[in-house]
Amino acid sequence: MKRVLIGISITAVVLAIILISLKAYYVLVAIIVGGLLIGHRELWSLLTTRKLPPFDERVKDNMSRSIRNGFIFFAAASVFLMLTFSINQTWKPELLPVLGGLFISSGTVYWLSYLFYDRAEPNISERGLRMLKIFLIVAGSSVAVFILSVFLHNMISGLFGKEEPVFFTIATIIAPLGLVVGLIGSLVLFIMGLTAQRQ
Amino acid sequence: MKTKMKEYRAKINLTQERLAQIVGVRRETIIFLEQGKYNPSLRLAYKVAKALGASIEELFTFEE
Repeated sequence: MKRVLIGISITAVVLAIILISLKAYYVLVAIIVGGLLIGHRELWSLLTTRKLPPFDERVKDNMSRSIRNGFIFFAAASVFLMLTFSINQTWKPELLPVLGGLFISSGTVYWLSYLFYDRAEPNISERGLRMLKIFLIVAGSSVAVFILSVFLHNMISGLFGKEEPVFFTIATIIAPLGLVVGLIGSLVLFIMGLTAQRQ
Repeated sequence: MKTKMKEYRAKINLTQERLAQIVGVRRETIIFLEQGKYNPSLRLAYKVAKALGASIEELFTFEE
């Protein structure tokens, strides 16, 4: 564990020097914030007990799953942004702030995932977990449906020269409603799992 | 999964924190094990059984 920490520290210092020399301060801040989010338990344990908590199998499982979720989010968000930039030629944001934003949001996804697997999931019933899966699928599908509907609405409206109503309604009312329902449902179950009393 | 960890721990007057130290895991892991909310690996189940002076079969039962 000590060797891993030394390795991470050296890598962090080298990366910081490179980023400062490139004046990529927001990327550096994003990485620092992400690191604090990821290692908050270990840091807290170091501060309060002056030693790192054991890196047991449950923690390893939770970390692996959380890293997987963070990576999937990073990949999906990157693909989405690349498609958006390629379609919309008038919007050309700078790469480094976008990269910084991606890192922060992926780190947040990792942190929320770890919190869920470590604290909430063990306290949610089988039925609750099934409901949570359904809410997350509804939320994710709503985003996909929104994007597809906007694309189809614009395409059909452009082809026929008049406003297309069906996909417009789906994009402006149904998809956002689905997203809100999915997010609120997921959040409620997540909070219930976090706040459940331990025996 | 059902477990009798709490009973065996109480017999030898061992706290969750101390059991966690002996086994080399976090206290939360012991809590979730006792509540049957985490399925241990064979290695961890063996370490816990050894620390509590019981066999794996005495400590852990799995429902079909």
